[in-house]
Amino acid sequence: MIVWLRQHVLALAGAFRHLLRAPGSFSLNVLVVAIALALPFAGLTVLENVRPVSEQLAVEPEISVFLSMETPRERASALAPQIRRVVQESGNTGRLEFIPREHALTLLKNKTGLDDAITALGENPLPDGYVLKLSGVRNASDATRVETLAAQLKALPGVEYVQIDSAWVKRLAALMHVLRLALLFLAATLGVVVVAVIFNTIRLQVMTQRDEIEVCRMFGATDAYIYRPFYYTGALLGLAAGAAALGAVALSLHPLNDAITDFARLYASEFRLAPLGATATIAMLATSAGLGLVGALLSVRRHLARAP
Amino acid sequence: MIAHMIEFRHVSKQYGRGSAALTDINLSIDKGELVFLSGPSGAGKSTLMKMIAVMERPSSGTVSVNGEDVGRLNASGLPYLRRNLGLIFQQQSLLNDRNVLANVMLPLLVIGTAKADAEKRARAALDKVGLLDKAASDPMALSGGEQQRVSIARAIVNRPQIILADEPTANLDRRSANKVMDALKAFHGVGVTCIIATHDESILASAPRVVYLERGRLVDSPAAESLQGAA
Repeated sequence: MIVWLRQHVLALAGAFRHLLRAPGSFSLNVLVVAIALALPFAGLTVLENVRPVSEQLAVEPEISVFLSMETPRERASALAPQIRRVVQESGNTGRLEFIPREHALTLLKNKTGLDDAITALGENPLPDGYVLKLSGVRNASDATRVETLAAQLKALPGVEYVQIDSAWVKRLAALMHVLRLALLFLAATLGVVVVAVIFNTIRLQVMTQRDEIEVCRMFGATDAYIYRPFYYTGALLGLAAGAAALGAVALSLHPLNDAITDFARLYASEFRLAPLGATATIAMLATSAGLGLVGALLSVRRHLARAP
Repeated sequence: MIAHMIEFRHVSKQYGRGSAALTDINLSIDKGELVFLSGPSGAGKSTLMKMIAVMERPSSGTVSVNGEDVGRLNASGLPYLRRNLGLIFQQQSLLNDRNVLANVMLPLLVIGTAKADAEKRARAALDKVGLLDKAASDPMALSGGEQQRVSIARAIVNRPQIILADEPTANLDRRSANKVMDALKAFHGVGVTCIIATHDESILASAPRVVYLERGRLVDSPAAESLQGAA
């Protein structure tokens, strides 16, 4: 075990030594890989920022249940238990609020500023109604369930019209799905680029260390002993490039946020793009190092396989 | 039955469709022996030595080291055989990117020896070949003879059972050649089996056992023209 650990330390030190021996070449390789990694990292950062916003928006979609004008107030009030039962049976949860037509008119006046025009109508054109705020609706499947619920509510006696706002939830969910797929495709494509760059870097390093490899084999070095420094080199290269890419994305958020803040204020929002959290950052660094390791593994297998 | 340290049984080696490098070699070398391989250039001396180190494999026949058929060794078993061998070649194959001490430490680091211990043993090996004062030197700053002695120090630092030296005195002046041979004989003196390929007549003159090769075959004694050609 001690020998094994010692050999890993030796391999890691060897990898550092070889990388630092040619700092210019190392920096250029890091730059190329970092550029390839920066795009998916930036995409992930945007998605990670948008995801909580979209979830927050989708938390309480509303269903407005408008009763017919002929429905007396007593019957309208008595409809609440029936609506609750339908909601419960459909597997949904939410808050139900009765909105008397007088209150609805006041709200309309306050919100629209059309006080004079509404007063000119003479009588209240609005019916009694209910507002049902559903909870836990997060995706297109949930939105479909909401539509079924709306149809059931419309079938209740005295209900004239039911308005749901699940369409935008479906659209947002679909958009997020498309964005995730696009990001996944981009990440996979650029991942291949990263592997190819590191594959070639390791190939060149194998060529420059050919003599050392031969001498080590002559004195009984195992394949693992010979391959290990190249694995570490690939992983270190990936790690350094990942860190550079994350740093570049984090830096680019500052000027971007200035523009986003101005735009968000128009919609009374405080939305800003934040860098990836600690867990996501660690995951991205591990992915970068992993891609580097894969590139090194493939290159070593291709260029250092022992002759039969 | 006596087990030989190294045994060639009906070994032949052919490269593609070209002429045979070795033909039907039968040879036994015992533990602690000092054996010189001689013959003209292209006689097959290097090929024979490379077969012991499994740098070449026989086309037919078997090569055994310590009773084990090394021709059958797979990639994972090969390193452990080589750890028992000390290899010295005409081209010293010293690494230019590190000093003499680091070159000699290499075989020990390869097998996982702690750095401090490796350094201590490498210094001791350099001391044995009279080059301790050159430990910090760049290998390229040394003379050919000194480089060859560094190669010897690197070959013996691992305390191998067998030393294989291929033309260790080639391109060296007489004084340097003698120093190299003295160093090799010293290791033979402590029980290490030494196989040395050379066509240096002055060395062969005092050799306890000489194996002659001509055109890939073992011969009892060298033909006169071969000696002239080798000289």
